[in-house]
Amino acid sequence: MTTIAVSHLSKSFGSVRAVDDLSFTAGPGTVTGFLGPNGAGKTTTLRMILGLVRPSTGTATVGGIPYAAIDRPIATVGAVLEDSGFHPRRTARDHLLVVCAAAGLPPTRAIDVLREVDLMAVAARRVGGFSHGMRQRLAIATALLGAPAVLILDEPGTGLDPEGVHWLRGLLRRFAGRDGTVLVSSHVLAEVEHLADRVVVIARGRLLHAGWLREMAAAGAGFEQAYLDLTRAQREDVR
Amino acid sequence: MSNLVAAELRKARSIRTTWLLTAAALGFCALWTVVSVLTLDDPGQAGLALEQRVQNVYQMAQQAYLFALILGIFAMAGEHRHRTLTLTLLITPRRTRVLAAKLVACTLIGSAIAVAAVVVTAGVAMPLLAATGRPVIVPGIAAILAGSALSTVLYTTLGVGVGALVRSQVAGVAVAVVWFLYAEYLLVWLVPAVGRWLPGGAAKAVSGWNLGGGELLPVWAGGLLFVAYTLLVTVAAGAITARRDVA
Repeated sequence: MTTIAVSHLSKSFGSVRAVDDLSFTAGPGTVTGFLGPNGAGKTTTLRMILGLVRPSTGTATVGGIPYAAIDRPIATVGAVLEDSGFHPRRTARDHLLVVCAAAGLPPTRAIDVLREVDLMAVAARRVGGFSHGMRQRLAIATALLGAPAVLILDEPGTGLDPEGVHWLRGLLRRFAGRDGTVLVSSHVLAEVEHLADRVVVIARGRLLHAGWLREMAAAGAGFEQAYLDLTRAQREDVR
Repeated sequence: MSNLVAAELRKARSIRTTWLLTAAALGFCALWTVVSVLTLDDPGQAGLALEQRVQNVYQMAQQAYLFALILGIFAMAGEHRHRTLTLTLLITPRRTRVLAAKLVACTLIGSAIAVAAVVVTAGVAMPLLAATGRPVIVPGIAAILAGSALSTVLYTTLGVGVGALVRSQVAGVAVAVVWFLYAEYLLVWLVPAVGRWLPGGAAKAVSGWNLGGGELLPVWAGGLLFVAYTLLVTVAAGAITARRDVA
């Protein structure tokens, strides 16, 4: 049972408060959609959970432990971040083998995940020639390499074609179905509506709502309207 | 830790840049060895005994240094350039361990290049010296080749520190080239007494360079000084990167 827990998390960049006293959890067996307008602080929050950005105050843990303190973290948490970098001159297989070597995973895992994301045919090709969709698949393969119990994804649907989006949805649903924990950020409501069980909505770094998606959708005029109502106050504030 | 070093070695092996830099390093050694044999009787070297001039031919094994340095810079700054640092830190959140693994891996790669540079230099120098009727074997060659190899290794390691500190491949290489090819020579020209205390002077001391005047530090002191420079740069880089947000 591996739960992501964010507690009173804040982060300031200079005078800008990117994340402001944010608390929520994402539990196993569910896909939690992490929603909010552009610039709401989603990426910063995910990066704090992954130990890449240091919180100003508050804590973020996975299975009760801060990411940086987890032994072999990629065997617990797989992450797909927006700027997943690949060395353009390295082949897809070499990229995965480097990760296997660093994390002490058997090299056979590279083949397993290449098959899982359907990239076997291009395993020996340099990543520099990959399309955005292929890179995204490789990023997902990298996240799956350590057979983690948790997946954290930042806007994974961006740039995927409809078939890719459908494939990704199936993969994440299956992952959660095997009692995995999935936290996925998005600003595409339709995508989240088809994927998530729970939603966490933030705006300007603050929590607006956390709860079951179907409850949010059942109230009044549907999910999209409920989301727009939630974020309206914030948007009017900005104007 | 051995996992991380193995991963770093695999990273280096799986891109062509590593092999191109190695080839360039060896090519430079061969080229400078040929040039130094052909200019053995130049008036500029008239103050040196033939034995010392032949020693300086073997010292060309040190000419791998610039490419070794660039290789070290690329190994670290490349993580920023290609945005692979995020993944590297997801696998190994403790940043000092990443830096340490890079240092160890690049020291190993630098050692391989250094050994190859010695073989190439000796392989070019010996037949050329013999063909031009000069002594092939003079005293002190072994020490010079060993010193040249050591200086190449030290430069590779320094490159990792420079790359970690500067974080940009282009800026890192520019800084290194300007410093070691121009700035240090200019400084030495202006204030000759500081030469032995600068990184390039320390490395020359390690490789047993004959300047005729003996104004360099002893080999051991040059080596320690160079290692101290590397540690200084690396520790500074480590201190800065330890807390920095990776966004």
